[in-house]
Amino acid sequence: MIVAEWKPVNELAAAVGSHGKILLVGCATCVAECAAGGEREVETLAPLLRMALQVEGHPVEIRAKTLERQCEWEFLEELDEIIPEVDAVLSLACGIGVQAVAERFPAVPVYPGVNTTALAIREAPGLWTARCAACGDCVLGETFGLCPVARCAKSLMNGPCGGTRKDGKCEVDENTDCVWNLIVQRARARGSLDSLAQVRGPKDWSNSRHGGPKRMLREDLRE
Amino acid sequence: MSFDPEIVVLYCQHCVAPDANVTVASQQMRGLAVRPTMMPCSSKVEVPHLLRILEQGADGVELVACPEAKCRFLVGSLKAEQRIKRARGLLEEIRMGGQRLGLSRKEKLSAEALLDLAEARAGAVQPLGPNPMKKGEPA
Repeated sequence: MIVAEWKPVNELAAAVGSHGKILLVGCATCVAECAAGGEREVETLAPLLRMALQVEGHPVEIRAKTLERQCEWEFLEELDEIIPEVDAVLSLACGIGVQAVAERFPAVPVYPGVNTTALAIREAPGLWTARCAACGDCVLGETFGLCPVARCAKSLMNGPCGGTRKDGKCEVDENTDCVWNLIVQRARARGSLDSLAQVRGPKDWSNSRHGGPKRMLREDLRE
Repeated sequence: MSFDPEIVVLYCQHCVAPDANVTVASQQMRGLAVRPTMMPCSSKVEVPHLLRILEQGADGVELVACPEAKCRFLVGSLKAEQRIKRARGLLEEIRMGGQRLGLSRKEKLSAEALLDLAEARAGAVQPLGPNPMKKGEPA
């Protein structure tokens, strides 16, 4: 899922505080799963923002709404009747959702309520860890289902580096597993350690962000 | 500035003695408005509930949960504690004062003992002053 985390509440209050009527919009998909922008977070942030702005002496009216998805035009239709009644929108969706709202309703300012941070998995309750970097050239078949692009601090294609801690953690963060250590362990368990001796060549980054903004076209799906 | 705080007490039904008449006792309080509300379990209280109560003007909230080992839902009171901690952090962030929220772990409370907890929360709230949301007045 796409994961995100709240911007500091005071930063949000400063961003929307000059508006009188604000629409706080949640998204019930990815950001709900990572407890950043679903209905519960909307219900938490709405009273919090009202109080924060009251404390600052700028009381505002905040309406709350959670869409099934903010990144699909069809779901955005639900906002058609509400948008004309507000001065600004604070979106708790990922960057895709924020841009979709801003594109459909260009006359109203739209502010991001979260920072979108990663493509991640819920590893345990309350813990999300990155699993994919959307690099456009997947190597999971060669690395035993463990991504060195997203999960190695150096995105090494031939690891591990010399910085793995004795307990198998990354030198950059003591709470993060060295993914190359995990790759080696999994290769050994499968009896395929030899395959890691093969040097992987330079990675092709042209299908990732490095090749410019991604544009994917499927002619068979065009109208 | 001294004031008469309004304290909402959310308490797990298993924390109080069966014969405790909390409603009557709360109406007899002086210098303190207490709004007691019985819950099936302290874990039914979530962060938005706590914030909404404060948004509506209460000066403080005391959540009364069972001792950890006595919770009928095993992790109910633990969840309640985590939520109070989270909500207090958010209140600190917006400079409303985390002390407006508190949690006590008790069992077999009399009505008077329950109200003593409200009084203690009122004492913690006093230095913060009245809730700025009261009657919509700016701080």
